[in-house]
Amino acid sequence: MSGEKPGKPNTERLFFREAIARAVREEMRRNARVIVLGQDVGAFGGSYREFDGLFAEFGPARVRDTPVAENAMVGVGVGLAAGGFRPLVSITYMDFLMLGLDPLFNYGAKLRFKSAGRMTAPLVVKTTAGAKGQGVAHSQCIESWLMGVPGLKVVAPSNPADAYLLMKAALRETGPLVYVDHKRLFPGAGDVPLDEEVGAIGVAQILRAGTDVTLTAHSFMVRVALEAAQRLADDGISCEVIDLRSLSPLDVETIARSAQRTGALLTLEEGQLTCGVGAEVSARVAERIGPLRAARVGPLPAPVSSNPLLEAAVVPDAGRVVAAAKALLGARFAAAAEDAIITNEGGGD
Amino acid sequence: MTPRQQLRTMKLIRAFETALAVRRDHGFQLLSSGEEAVAVGLCAALGAADQLLTGGRSIGFALARGLDPQRLLAELLGKSTGLNGGVAGRGHVNDAASGFFGAHAVVGGNLTIAAGLALARQLAGEKSIVAVAFGDGACGSGALHEALNLAAIWRLPLVFVCNDNQLSVSTPRKYALAPAHLADLARPYGIPARTVDGMDVEAVADAAREAIETVRSGRGPAFMECLSLRFASHSTTARETRSKPELEAIRARCPIRAFEAKLIARGDLDPAQVTDLDLAIAAEIAAAAVFADASAPPRLDEALANVW
Repeated sequence: MSGEKPGKPNTERLFFREAIARAVREEMRRNARVIVLGQDVGAFGGSYREFDGLFAEFGPARVRDTPVAENAMVGVGVGLAAGGFRPLVSITYMDFLMLGLDPLFNYGAKLRFKSAGRMTAPLVVKTTAGAKGQGVAHSQCIESWLMGVPGLKVVAPSNPADAYLLMKAALRETGPLVYVDHKRLFPGAGDVPLDEEVGAIGVAQILRAGTDVTLTAHSFMVRVALEAAQRLADDGISCEVIDLRSLSPLDVETIARSAQRTGALLTLEEGQLTCGVGAEVSARVAERIGPLRAARVGPLPAPVSSNPLLEAAVVPDAGRVVAAAKALLGARFAAAAEDAIITNEGGGD
Repeated sequence: MTPRQQLRTMKLIRAFETALAVRRDHGFQLLSSGEEAVAVGLCAALGAADQLLTGGRSIGFALARGLDPQRLLAELLGKSTGLNGGVAGRGHVNDAASGFFGAHAVVGGNLTIAAGLALARQLAGEKSIVAVAFGDGACGSGALHEALNLAAIWRLPLVFVCNDNQLSVSTPRKYALAPAHLADLARPYGIPARTVDGMDVEAVADAAREAIETVRSGRGPAFMECLSLRFASHSTTARETRSKPELEAIRARCPIRAFEAKLIARGDLDPAQVTDLDLAIAAEIAAAAVFADASAPPRLDEALANVW
């Protein structure tokens, strides 16, 4: 389904941004109630040109530039959704989503519940997370904050095929959903199904089979995980890589089955480890299958500097994943683990 | 709504809140006694297809919008027969099908959602409009600026109704807000704005009709500030910080007694009709209590219903 290997039959090669644009375009053609709102989504085509061509095709009423006012944008999205539309609200960077959490958490995610099922808010908030040279308030990955909000779904694709499939699914959801992409994913291309398809939300994907350790990741960190798995393979360690794809709901079943097979679970994320995605994955898996060897890899417990040297020092890379995997798997690799420059310690511990 | 219906609705709100406040099984409630003329004056001017959003202090608006007192009381008491099956309750009660999109208990949280609902109506080409009621407290929040700005640039069919009851919980408005008149907040956006006596139901209704007419005609949003007085403390469990003489002076300005006297003086009502009205309302409130008390609470598995 996802296109890691180029040239698969019945696929087209698309950049990540093109995959998003195609999904939104198809859904806008199919459903006149799909509306795009956000900063610079109109003629500009989105900060990463992920809305390219939509303004020309659908016009300013349906592809609507907004003031820089994230609280209002999410609130307007909730109101539009409650009023019968399917808004996609683009929040340029995930750091700015903090300004929109009141309408998202307090109203959007609660609407169906508090109206005893008579109202819903089918709102998609699309936002871009991750470190890429933009510093302390333009780099954060706060998706774990969203995972504990009942009524709110969260997806985070790692490749163009899933970017397409999950956006299609998001725009057909019955309730609010946050679609998280990543600055470093935009330059990448991949194979996307030629025929119209809709992905499944809540289903993780095993991207690489392995027998020694299960490694989970989402969004851009999936690439880091795959690189680490290759390096581990060179060292004789067989690593199973799972792309979470959906953070809420979380596909605990797929992860737990894998961890049961391998007997070890390593989680990887770019967001902070404390109360993070990995903490949740590990706990849920342990609750399902009992105690197991588990460790988390994440950034240092520090803000992300716009200084490229400091950014690279904070954000996890394949080397750190390799070291953590070896440490987790025991004495055979202890020496290698000690060589690691940075140990895996969660923020605030 | 005829003047007599307006009086009846104000009396219904007062009697409903008074009966609710003396109960011991309501958790706590945000009462609007003293502010009935704002709710009734606004709702007298709204059409059936229009939509109203309020802040947390919502009982008066809900009843003025014509919601069934029995089901409202059941909702506030957490009963399965309530408007939302007893899951929403105070601060969150809603009935969009009846034009009451509902209460929003985070101050200022309703403003941008109202703008979204208004945009939905505009995009759908509907003639109906949206009204959003909020207190002076919300005028200190950034959401008001964001909503006013969007409403103005998009010419949204949205009426902003500021119920300026002079207090945010206990903090007097003069300590919290710089503008002398909150209607002035709308003017830089080119939004027509008025300040009216919120203790005079006919003044509120007249201003609301004018504002709604502007909005319905497609000329964009309007803003009205209703100067009102809150008779009770912030909530039934919040301490009253005003002095006794101060409260007596405030309560002497009762919008219901004033309107009743006005209607009698005008010859629109005679004292015998007032007695009949009061008895009918007392019976209606008693029936609501009987209905709510006879209703079952929600099943505990309702806690997990309609989450996703």
